[in-house]
Amino acid sequence: MKVLSTLIRRELQEHKVGFIYAPFIVTCILSLVVISVYFGITNIQTPEFNFTTEIYENERALEWMATADSAQITSVIRSGLVVLGLPILITVAFAILAFSLSTFADERKDRTLIFWRSLPVSDLTTVMSKILLVTLIVPLIVLPNIILLHLISLLSASIFFTTNDIVPFGWVWSAYSFTDWFRIIFSLWAQTLWSLPLMAWLMFAGAFAKRPIMGALVPLVVIVVLEGIVLKTNYLFTFIQDRLRFWTRSSDFPIQSEEIRVVDVTDIYLMISAQHFWIGMILSAVLISGIIYFRSRNNDYSSE
Amino acid sequence: MEREFAVKAKGVIKNYDNSRALDAIDLEVRPGQVLGLIGPNGAGKSTLLQSVLGLLNTEGDLEVLGLDPRKDRHKLLQKVCSITDVAVLPKWMTVEQVLQYVDGVHPRFNLEKANSIISRTDIKNHSKIKTLSRGLVVQLHLSIVMAIDAELLVLDEPTLGLDLVYRKDFYSQLIEDYYDGNKTILISTHQVEEIEGVLSDAIFMNQGRVVMQDSIEAINERFLELRPNQDSLERAKSLNPMHIRNELGREVFLFEGTALDKLTGLGEVRPPFIADLFMAIMDKTKSKDQR
Repeated sequence: MKVLSTLIRRELQEHKVGFIYAPFIVTCILSLVVISVYFGITNIQTPEFNFTTEIYENERALEWMATADSAQITSVIRSGLVVLGLPILITVAFAILAFSLSTFADERKDRTLIFWRSLPVSDLTTVMSKILLVTLIVPLIVLPNIILLHLISLLSASIFFTTNDIVPFGWVWSAYSFTDWFRIIFSLWAQTLWSLPLMAWLMFAGAFAKRPIMGALVPLVVIVVLEGIVLKTNYLFTFIQDRLRFWTRSSDFPIQSEEIRVVDVTDIYLMISAQHFWIGMILSAVLISGIIYFRSRNNDYSSE
Repeated sequence: MEREFAVKAKGVIKNYDNSRALDAIDLEVRPGQVLGLIGPNGAGKSTLLQSVLGLLNTEGDLEVLGLDPRKDRHKLLQKVCSITDVAVLPKWMTVEQVLQYVDGVHPRFNLEKANSIISRTDIKNHSKIKTLSRGLVVQLHLSIVMAIDAELLVLDEPTLGLDLVYRKDFYSQLIEDYYDGNKTILISTHQVEEIEGVLSDAIFMNQGRVVMQDSIEAINERFLELRPNQDSLERAKSLNPMHIRNELGREVFLFEGTALDKLTGLGEVRPPFIADLFMAIMDKTKSKDQR
């Protein structure tokens, strides 16, 4: 356990920009935007997304707020906060993809691989520490950022509602479910497990290819094109597309939804009981074995 | 039970795409030996050391501290540590982070000892590796290795690129502060003259083969170098030297298996430098091959 935690700490030290600083900076920017909107400094109005206090000038909106029951308020708050937190998740998703592609390629390129492998840590433990990092630990790091954004948003809204005599200060807080924090973390873990085949593929490419980006893309493009020409199907393309999406919105998920919706705990059960989830896990296991194989043979570069 | 051999190799072969880096190597290293691997570039020294560390896959029988490095690398590395010219310390880490990392993964690492060794150097704990000179990085690596209670230390060109002062410090620190008579050390370096005084044994390698392996004591008994007086030249030649070289216009004779009393009085007699002996053996092998 001490070895594993040391390995994970090392990864976080090396990739603190992507996994710690970047989500925190995005959280701070989003928090500033929220505060600015509620304090009337700015508003966001796009065809897809509106975030403005102008809606509280609408009589019907105010009437709804006065009469809505707790469940309705909770539902609206949850949906709003899910959308608000998306930039943090997208930032972390990019950080994870970049990490996956570079982690085994960089240690070969800068020759630190020999140093890491000169210490009594098995390749299996090293590879599993990186998998654990992206599937389990990074969501745990992201969670406080999301919670912080939620709290700042709710506090700003409460102050706005109170000072404008719309609803009392506690209106928002009574409807906010603190157990949602658990819902978020389980949902993020489900997401990383759902996308694990892609991460494992990128790590695999980094472990074997001299040019990891080409190693990751070229085989996939070739197979997708060949599959289209020979079999007239697009299974691989759909598979990749699905694993890049939120797991509840994949084409294989039993409940289809056009909108981004708040995840329910029962959704996780639906995902785990789906055949496609396990296909992804088996594929990931095969790729992880491949990573271990290539990493253990990556010293064979000696000129002597 | 005391182990008979720290390293035992029989018929070890390593092939790369178009070449054979190790050609049926046989090797026996006893615990406590300080063994120097001597040979030109491409002799297979680094390949052999990397095989001992379990970093390369080889054919043949190879046993290091009773373990097969190809199968038990993880277990083996708890008892073996190494400094190689190719093993680069991660530049993004601070000295403190590297020490904490090694402390976290190595059961035989003594953090206090490492800190105490480092405190006697110019290395600062908060410094990033990338800001350290090559000499300080090697010193840091040596400090880490010295704080590991290992049975076998593998050094592959550890002082490559260092200036003379650092090179001298490296070996004196190694022998004075680290070597306790029980530890086994394998060293490969091009600066043979710098390690000559610390070796107990030497192996000469060329083109992936072991050309000669013996203890320094046995080598000094077996080989003698004679700088004959002008009037003893012919007599010296009649004793069949294995090699004659020219040094600043003066011939130097190397004898194998010739008794000291036969050479006494013919000129200046002394055991040969390892580097000179190696060159002589290489020349002899070359001329034998040409015949």
